[in-house]
Amino acid sequence: MVEFSPDVIDTIIKAAALLGAGFAMIAGIGPGVGQGYAAGKAVEAVARDPEARGNIITTMLLGQAVAESTGVYSLVIAIVLIFTI
Amino acid sequence: MKYVDDPVKMQKEIIKRSYIIAVIPVVYSLLSGEFPTMMGLLFGIIISTLILRLRVIHIERSLNMNEKKANTFIRNRYFIEFAIYFVVLLVARKNPSLNFLATAAGLFLIKFTVIGWVILDMLKQSWQKKIDSYK
Repeated sequence: MVEFSPDVIDTIIKAAALLGAGFAMIAGIGPGVGQGYAAGKAVEAVARDPEARGNIITTMLLGQAVAESTGVYSLVIAIVLIFTI
Repeated sequence: MKYVDDPVKMQKEIIKRSYIIAVIPVVYSLLSGEFPTMMGLLFGIIISTLILRLRVIHIERSLNMNEKKANTFIRNRYFIEFAIYFVVLLVARKNPSLNFLATAAGLFLIKFTVIGWVILDMLKQSWQKKIDSYK
């Protein structure tokens, strides 16, 4: 069995943590694409029914506030991985 | 859900509710002498409130554009907000007078308030339906 020195093991752990942080940041892309799509559809809905503008803004605000949380989760995880190890 | 037709009132209601929820951990951390936790929570909540306000402005601006432009505009603004979140969390991590996890909790508080509010509203509606069906 191959045995690594503590320095090598430390480097492997650091590299894995940084790689994990990079992978976690991929989750930040999804909400942006989703929010953009929702905004496009909201414009379409307002054009169809201008009186529902207030309702559409409120619904979109609540939806975006919740949708964004997955991106921030990934950010928190990435920062913890980068700075803790 | 109350104020669903008025975004300004809804926004104020969300902020009011999240501040009421935030009072409990802030006072607890103040009484137990954990000042970094208190400062982190306050920092996170203030940034989260400002970003909510920014989002309302962006949404209102996007509704005056065409579909494709609104899509691109909101996507770009999301990435700017994401960068702001990154800077906030980085500052909380680097600064010893701010607790990192408390800052993250402060950032998430408004989102959890919205989710909790919607769940409570759904439960209320289902109970009301059950009560009405027994009448």
